[in-house]
Amino acid sequence: MPRITRAFIKTGMGFFLVSLLLGIAVEIESLSLPVLMPLFWHTLMVGWITQIIFGVSMWMFPGRNKEEGFRAQLWGWLTYIFLNAGLVLRLVAEPMLPYSELAFWNVLVLSSAVLQVTGGITYLIEMWPRIMSKEQRRRKRKKKRNKQ
Amino acid sequence: MLVHKAYPLHPAIWVLLPVHIELLVIGWIVQFTMGTAYWILPRYLKGSSRGNTKLARSMVFLLNVGIVVVIADRFTDSSLPLAVIGRLLEVSAVALFVGMHWKRVVTYNK
Repeated sequence: MPRITRAFIKTGMGFFLVSLLLGIAVEIESLSLPVLMPLFWHTLMVGWITQIIFGVSMWMFPGRNKEEGFRAQLWGWLTYIFLNAGLVLRLVAEPMLPYSELAFWNVLVLSSAVLQVTGGITYLIEMWPRIMSKEQRRRKRKKKRNKQ
Repeated sequence: MLVHKAYPLHPAIWVLLPVHIELLVIGWIVQFTMGTAYWILPRYLKGSSRGNTKLARSMVFLLNVGIVVVIADRFTDSSLPLAVIGRLLEVSAVALFVGMHWKRVVTYNK
């Protein structure tokens, strides 16, 4: 399993735990703040489910660059960084919005949204060319060989 | 919507919440798992390896039309029960999915 997939899955597991803890907090009346509900759903659906989808697809889909390292897997690692930085910022900043007047939290929430969307775009850049049939792969390989 | 929480854009933005959920849950997660299962589950040893291709295409078509119809329900004042029609289309896609994949959930190792 490539390093990037391990990173996605292990980070995803972390978010999975966080989401279930938030789920417990939502059910306890004294802890149940309205801000926790969107965090519970997003850590579960983006932090866990989407994250394992990203990690496993980068590993299993055809056309993977088997060389390890940031440069070799540039779009994959950028996706990992953007998505997780965005999620962590959301987790930290969103609960502060109703309780603090500081513009700093608003900037963090805005950055979180931008980072997550950017992570989605870098994922598309990595995966779009890799979604192909066997025939397309054969043709691509043939084209590559002819070029050399 | 997340940006709206920090910098209010327009109160009507919350109309987009069901669309956001529909696109990401059905359009992204459900569709991705269905597509990947179609690709990766054990294939048939005889005949077309993944079953009837036309049915598979219909499955994709029904699911996506269903998503569009459910979303359309949020924005139109149609007298038709669009949300129900959309959900029925999505269910038909899932029924096709189950029917097509039931026999592919198998092991060929003894």
